[in-house]
Amino acid sequence: MEREEFVLVRETVRSLAPRYGVTSPDEVKPATRAAAQQALDDMGLRDLRRTSPPAATAQECALLAEEHGRHPLTTSLLGTVLLAPELLRLLGDDTSRGTPTVALTSELRFPGPESADLVAWDCEGADGALCVATDGTVTRVELGPTAPSTDLLRAIREVPGDTPVETVGRLTAPDRLRWQAYALVVVTAELVGAAGSFVEQAVEYARVRRQYGQAIGSFQAVQHLLADATVLVEAGTSATRYAAWCLDNEPPERALTAARVAKAEVNSSALEAVYAGMQVFGGIAQTWEHIAHLYLRKVRLGATLLATTGDLLPALAAPEVTR
Amino acid sequence: MTDTPLDFGDPADLDRLRHEFRAWLAQHPLPERESGEPVQVFLHRWHRLLHSGGWVGLDVPERYGGRGLTALHQVAISDELGACRAPGVPRIGYLAHALLEFGSEEQRLRFLPRMLAGDEVWCQGFSEPGAGSDLAGMSTFAKRHDGHYTVRGQKLWTSYAQYSGLCLLLARTDRSAPAHKSISAFVLPLDRPGVTVRPLRAANGDDEFCELFLDDVRVEESERVGAEGVGWALAMTTVSYERNALDTGHISKYGLLVERLRRHAAERGGSLPDGLLSRIGRCVVDYEVLVAHARRRTAERLAGQVAGPESSVDKLLMTRTEQRLYDTALEVFPAELAQEGGELFGDYLYSRAASVYGGTSQIQRNIIAKRILHLPSNG
Repeated sequence: MEREEFVLVRETVRSLAPRYGVTSPDEVKPATRAAAQQALDDMGLRDLRRTSPPAATAQECALLAEEHGRHPLTTSLLGTVLLAPELLRLLGDDTSRGTPTVALTSELRFPGPESADLVAWDCEGADGALCVATDGTVTRVELGPTAPSTDLLRAIREVPGDTPVETVGRLTAPDRLRWQAYALVVVTAELVGAAGSFVEQAVEYARVRRQYGQAIGSFQAVQHLLADATVLVEAGTSATRYAAWCLDNEPPERALTAARVAKAEVNSSALEAVYAGMQVFGGIAQTWEHIAHLYLRKVRLGATLLATTGDLLPALAAPEVTR
Repeated sequence: MTDTPLDFGDPADLDRLRHEFRAWLAQHPLPERESGEPVQVFLHRWHRLLHSGGWVGLDVPERYGGRGLTALHQVAISDELGACRAPGVPRIGYLAHALLEFGSEEQRLRFLPRMLAGDEVWCQGFSEPGAGSDLAGMSTFAKRHDGHYTVRGQKLWTSYAQYSGLCLLLARTDRSAPAHKSISAFVLPLDRPGVTVRPLRAANGDDEFCELFLDDVRVEESERVGAEGVGWALAMTTVSYERNALDTGHISKYGLLVERLRRHAAERGGSLPDGLLSRIGRCVVDYEVLVAHARRRTAERLAGQVAGPESSVDKLLMTRTEQRLYDTALEVFPAELAQEGGELFGDYLYSRAASVYGGTSQIQRNIIAKRILHLPSNG
């Protein structure tokens, strides 16, 4: 991929932001959500990972997710555009109809061996959800009522316990690793984008907000806070892009390790970076109207999504061969 | 910040290089460090051996003694050395870049091949007792005469000067101009009359750091690197490469210790004290993030970007990795604390210097705030 293409990928998602990015949580309404989703769907990005070989690299998909995270968008880019189509591609399924998203446990993890309540995650515009069992079996489940979520931008719905289960196919063991790595990378990329954007907004604010007769960004205490947040964002960006690159170029085991590393790094660093940004914004960022808490909610919930730091660190401490 | 995709060119080309290098390594076993042999002397033997196989300065143009390949090729060799637990590549990349960018053609031809070969060992005379973080405040002065200078002053933290033949020296050439425009760079042979080198003993017992006393040392005009007054720009380029994740052999050293911690975790299973397993996991994450970050910098270098202020990000990341790693290692291996002179405790002590040498962590944050984030100055 050339640098120009890389920039173009970014631009597609960025073009949604001026019209559909919310400026306060009160703007998040069913009608505006549907309109934003329609605009995203009209871009036809769902085919990017639907064909085999895919039209877009994992690196490009991660970049789309990163850019999506930068803006307060309610659209389901991750669930319906990047994740569910990838599952169908890995299954070699080119007949399925509809717009599925992905199903996770109600704790937002990959479904494990024990049966658990499911939710349809990131389901704006979705008409079903794909659930991957630990043996690789992929089933399609139906959507129930809206489920509450602290991430006000992300739509989640319950999956009724008595939902009819339709088997779509079965992933091979390597493909299940690929799927998990890809899901971790895409989710992590969105968190990195959110943290990076919020830190940039805090830097802008530090340039214009004046106290003691000067811009607060001229104070070294504020500068160092923002410099440290920048280092965290850069590290998370490197880890996530490298994990995406591994998906395109390395065996699935290696890609999954890189994806776990990225998620473990970003779980804490995105949150810390957003904390730093909020500190720079000061009182204004504590209000309902300010978008700071939309970013905070996304990264706070994001740190538990798919894998928490508590899950990942002990697993990564095991030597490479025994993991 | 940067938006360069990770793209490393033709992997077959790199695979060939790796195979070629492994074959060479198989025929040239690692030299043993003799008892009592100073580390730097041992590393110099290793440097010359590597060079004899053509494995030093891969990204330096051929006419200057390199192989005209890319930074990626050099990184691949570093990776291979790390994987077989050999010492890293000689740390001369940042000095080579200073000469490549600022030296005259004559100087590049004269110095670079011998630097790469290890025929001439270099050190760096930047810091002074009164000019640490405020490097521009240096007072060593080079007084101009007809065709030469006389240099008077003192340098500090000049690593391994006692083993070096040449020093890349910064000195003021104008007392009236602003600091950043009055510094010039010179190549100083350390056997010149008036030069005194005195090693300092560091907290870990090593004698890496030296003092350099310069008492009216004659330096020829032809030994000045670049024009008068470009010394500051040269210094900033040099430290950018020095701080950069690619130009250090540290990463593979961290990797070895991380693997040792992991093996210990596997052996001890569930009997590690509470929380220690997660701390080891955190070290793994730090290390792998640093590897990923170095890959990203490699891709940027291949795409033609030169080292700049973002190397301050790299330095802070390396510092974080190194300090957390050695601190954790002492928690995992507490017996190392019960003996003086152990290698791990020595490395731990050295890790505390990581946030000071090459520009303190506070200076790195200043650079990020001013030159990357463009935050306003005080006042």
